[in-house]
This record gives sequence, C-alpha cells and structure tokens, in this order.
Amino acid sequence: MDEKTRLAAGIARHLQGLGYDETRLAEIAAEVDILNSAVRKAAAGRLTFDDEPAAFASLMAREAK
Amino acid sequence: MINEDLALGDLSEIGDAIGDRKVTSVQATEACLRRIEAWQPRTNAFLRLEADKALAQAHAMDRELAAGKRRGRLHGVPMAHKDMYYRKGQLSTGGSEIRRHWTAPVTATVLERLDAAGVVELGFLNMAEFAAGPTGHNVHHGHCRNPWDGTRVTGGSSSGSGASVAARMVYGALGSDTGGSIRLPASACGVVGMKATYGRVSRAGAVARSWSLDHVGPLTRTVRDNARILGVIAGHDPNDSTTSEKAVPDYEAALDGGVAGLRIGLALPEALVPVDAQVGAAVQAAADAFGRLGATIAPARMPDFTDLYRSAEVMVKCEAAAMHRPWMESDAPYANQVRTRMEAGFFIPATQYIDALRLRAHFVREFLDMAMADVDAVVLPAIPFPVPTLEETDVEGSGGPATLSMVARFTGLTRPFNTLGVPALSLPCGFDANGMPIGLQLVGRPFDEALLYRIGHAYQGATDHHRRVPA
Repeated sequence: MDEKTRLAAGIARHLQGLGYDETRLAEIAAEVDILNSAVRKAAAGRLTFDDEPAAFASLMAREAK
Repeated sequence: MINEDLALGDLSEIGDAIGDRKVTSVQATEACLRRIEAWQPRTNAFLRLEADKALAQAHAMDRELAAGKRRGRLHGVPMAHKDMYYRKGQLSTGGSEIRRHWTAPVTATVLERLDAAGVVELGFLNMAEFAAGPTGHNVHHGHCRNPWDGTRVTGGSSSGSGASVAARMVYGALGSDTGGSIRLPASACGVVGMKATYGRVSRAGAVARSWSLDHVGPLTRTVRDNARILGVIAGHDPNDSTTSEKAVPDYEAALDGGVAGLRIGLALPEALVPVDAQVGAAVQAAADAFGRLGATIAPARMPDFTDLYRSAEVMVKCEAAAMHRPWMESDAPYANQVRTRMEAGFFIPATQYIDALRLRAHFVREFLDMAMADVDAVVLPAIPFPVPTLEETDVEGSGGPATLSMVARFTGLTRPFNTLGVPALSLPCGFDANGMPIGLQLVGRPFDEALLYRIGHAYQGATDHHRRVPA
C-alpha cells in the first residue's frame, strides 16, 4: 500500500468510519489527488485572505443584465 | 387522429388555443395520453403516469375557463416532470431504489407555481438515479430510450424530460441541471433546454445533487415555449435563500427583437474537449445562420476550464457525500457508478472544498472579462460527439476505460457553466449521420436569459431542426 492509499485508509477508518478495500482506496486516493491538486493550483494564483464563498452571489448580482 | 395531431402542436400554440377556447384542456390531455400510450413502451420516459388525475385536472381547468377565469398562458396545458420535484403526500423516487416508496413532505415551489398557472400534470418522468449520470441509464427503473433511436441514450440526468418532449408525449417538462442535465438531454433528443442563471429559479422541494450547482429549468419543443414556462417558475422564493430578488422579465414579449447588431462569439474549443467534425460543422452552420440574420460572429476567447471543471467536481462530490452519508453508511442499494462517483467526497479536505467555492467568483470574473468582453453571447456545442448507444455508455454493465472516458466527456462543455452560474440555452441545430439530433448552447451574462431566448427564437424562425418529429 503506497503512502497516499495508506492516508486514505486512515481517513476512511478513523475520520469517516467507512470501510473500503485496498483496491478501492487506491482508486479514491488517485482521484482525490487530481482534484486537490487542481484546486490548490487554481487557488494559489487567485485567492487572497479576503476572498469568501459569498462573493460569487454578489458578483452575479452586480453583473446582472 | 384529431386528438393525436393536437399533441404535435407547440406548448404556446396549445396554451393560446385553450385560452381562446378553440381547444379544451381535456382534448389536449387526451391527445398527450394517446401519444404516451404509443411512445411509453419505446422510451420508458414515464415512471408514473397519472391519467385519471390529469383528466380530472383538465376538466377543472375547462370549467374555470367556461366561467371566465383564465389563470395565464399555461392554463390547461399538460406537462410532466422529472421525478425529483416533491408533491406533498405523493411518491417521489428521485430515480432511485432507495426512495422507491418514499412520499414527499412538501410540494416543490416550481410545482406550486405551475399549479397556480393552471398546468395539468400528467405524471413524473424517468431520470438518472439521484440526478447523477449524463446518459439516461437507470438500473432501478429501466433505462430511458431516445425516441429518435431506441438503442441510443437520451442524455441525462433529465432523461424522461428530454424523451417525453421530443416524442410529443407532453408539451413541456421540468428538468434539473448540475453539470448539464437539462442541456444534454435537450441536445440528444432534439429539444430546447434552459439552464437559467443560478438563483433565477427556486430549488426548494427538488432533490438536490449539489446545492451549489443545481439549476431547475424547462425542456420544450420551441424557444417560445421555454420562455413561457421560465416566466412562470422564475423569481424569488423565501424557501430558497439563493434565489434572486431581481424582477422576472416577460421573456416571451422580448422574443422578437432579432439578432441584427448583436455580436456572438463562436467557440469550438478543441483544447477543452475534442469536438467531433459533424458536431463542429453543425454549430459552425448555426453561427453562419446567425450571421445571415444580421449578427456579427467572432471567435470566442474561452478561458482554460480545466481547473474550473475540477473545482466543480470537488463541490459535487463533497456536497453529495455529505447528503448521502446515512444511506452510504448503511450500504443502501445504489447503482455502483452512482455510489463510486460520490465516495471521493469523504476524502477531500474541507479547505479544498471551501477554496473551490471561493474560486467561483474568480472564475466568473475571468469568463466575463475574456469570453464575454466583446460579445453579447457565446455559441458552442452541447455534447461534443454524436449521440452514442446505450451499450457504448453502459458504465454499470460492460464499462471499461473507453466507456468511462466517453461518459466523462459528456459534460465537458456543459459543467463549466454550472460553476459559472451563467445562463445557458441548448437548442437543436442539426442531425448527425445516424439521424440523431445535434445541439448547440448559447451562453450569456448573468440574468440575461431574455437575450438568449431572443437569439434562439430568431434561429428557430430561420431553421426547421426543431420541427422534425421522431417517427
């Protein structure tokens, strides 16, 4: 079991109370790695301390036609 | 025969004819029931047909008209809806096995609004399990089949909505769209589907897939029909705090403005998702048609949607995992592909989920500044490849890597606009070599549905793709 799969196994067992076999944990770990990396990359170039989720609704209202 | 011909009319035509008392609601409802009798065995579009109730409702609407009361332009018009809109005390399956016998505790706001407008409800329609799946497969209630070719998919998740409208079983239907689930079946079935701006239509009383990305909207045969329904269901709802208080325009009244003087950006974004040559040619031909109608066509400068797409996946997986947790923990009977698509949500850190939400405003700003800077709307394909067969996309059955890849690419050009929250209208723009419909999307600025309808209406006035009916 590689490091990421072991981490996924730990999250499943200790944090979420879920049981998965090693094959499925490896698949999930790979999927999560891709998604996390994409968000971290996107965030690194864009987000600042003052960004909040509600900015989306505000922007939509400001830009409304 | 006369009754069946009635079912071939548009929603707006039949609504006007009922209002003018040239046709009764009962006649329109009976015409739909005849179509359903003929087409349900071929499509499996309905999960529950409520013929007696619909006829009783139609009689009541006719009595009101006879007494001089017309509720509006949808008075007496038969529709049916994706089986995820709650009606208090009645079954609501969400396309699932888990809720096969579940009764809803409330009525969805959109159904209340259609009730108040005098719509007749024929029943509830097939859908992907819990609105999770872009093809129309459903292992619990049977796959929905495309009326143009029963071996091919309808698109999903609003599969029954697309199939029933295309086969003229109903005049219009509600669907919902988290990653393309209105626009994909609209495209694959050759009908019109509107995913309006996030916050334009209430989600209250509808099965959620992702609270942040879910959009409720209509599927219809024409743009005019669609505008008529959206005008009824749109608007602020105290039961959905994400709805906008912005006034709802009379979309139908604004349809005839034409496209002369408008600038439309054409996007055939090979860099995002490979676009099949037939699909690309159909969308290019539509752009040429806009040009002949007086619009200026320019290449659209689309941002790279890769990170945006992944951020949307983070939102969907985390929100779906949270809401489904009790069932997932108890090993409830999900289709395998529905369960597995949610599982990663338990492993994504909360900070990443929150960052995906925080990024959303940045993605919108970038899209408006880049793609929409010099244009009024963008046109691009809805599904980037010809409509595949049920077998080719059967993830649950034979699904290997090629199947998974094709299914994943379904939403490549639709999901970005759920994250952006901007309006996107899908309408038919041609047919492929297999005789299956091809659809395009028109995308606009926040709350600019009226302009998209205007462009779509002008296009339908100059073309007849939407007039073709499955044989």
